[in-house]
Amino acid sequence: MNNKPCLTLEDCKKIGAAAEAEARKNKWNVTIAILDDGGHMLWLVRMDGATPFNAQVAIEKGRSAAVSRRTTKNWEDRVSAGRNALLNMPVLPIQGGVPIMVGAECVGAVGVSGVQSHEDEQIANAGIASLGIKS
Amino acid sequence: MSLKTALTAATVGALLVAGATLAQQPAPNPLDNIPDKMPNDIPYGTPISLDHAQAAIAAAVAESKKRGWKLNVAVVDSGANLVAFARQDGAQLASIAISEHKARAAVKYRRETKALEGGVQSGLNYLLTLDDVIASRGGIPLMQDGKMIGAIGCSGGTGSQDEVVCKAGAATVK
Repeated sequence: MNNKPCLTLEDCKKIGAAAEAEARKNKWNVTIAILDDGGHMLWLVRMDGATPFNAQVAIEKGRSAAVSRRTTKNWEDRVSAGRNALLNMPVLPIQGGVPIMVGAECVGAVGVSGVQSHEDEQIANAGIASLGIKS
Repeated sequence: MSLKTALTAATVGALLVAGATLAQQPAPNPLDNIPDKMPNDIPYGTPISLDHAQAAIAAAVAESKKRGWKLNVAVVDSGANLVAFARQDGAQLASIAISEHKARAAVKYRRETKALEGGVQSGLNYLLTLDDVIASRGGIPLMQDGKMIGAIGCSGGTGSQDEVVCKAGAATVK
């Protein structure tokens, strides 16, 4: 039997706080969603000023990254390169979803929505970095 | 008279008698009652802030943890849209959606979901045909200055467990 690490609520609080701090530092109002490796929600924060739409998109970006084990930027890049067939895949191919990798294992993902896509990803990365996982 | 004919005649006779009785004393339908005042006339307030929402979730999770329970807790704003969510370690997956549903229904129907549960329990089955109903306790409106600014929903235990935790969260908003 294999063992794999698992995100706790405390991990989520840490990731969420760091991501929120990164957003606040830049005066960005966003939604931050953290999901487990099955794409099920663990934590969500919609900052004041972020829209209900952002909440739905953040969850979907996070779910996409979690179940595909790759960033949604990776999906977006491949679509942009002309691989239009990927639009028919059950993911949201828009930057801002980042898987949380522990070694070779994906333990979940962070999805962010509210500002420009690359800024959303910057926030997600800042959150994940707070776990101090060495890759 | 054959046995079959006799039975048929007896049945028709019984129905006629029953029909006559009903015609004499029609059972009153409580749903026909027309109240003078608007029920549940609670104004919707400004959407709950993230700080308030997170404080409510923290209190709910603390109460749940103290009791050794594993729940999901969701807070929605006065537009029934998700503001904050937390899943405790080991809480069941179905309750992610259920906790949000309870909070959403509490806002949309401007009452605790316990009221919907009670209605169905008392035989008002039509409640289950209304949009987005969840007839299970554990969804409570968050009130500030007489206005509803959002709602909190808890799920993962029994309805009664969910409600206790929900109340701990709701108590943080005044």
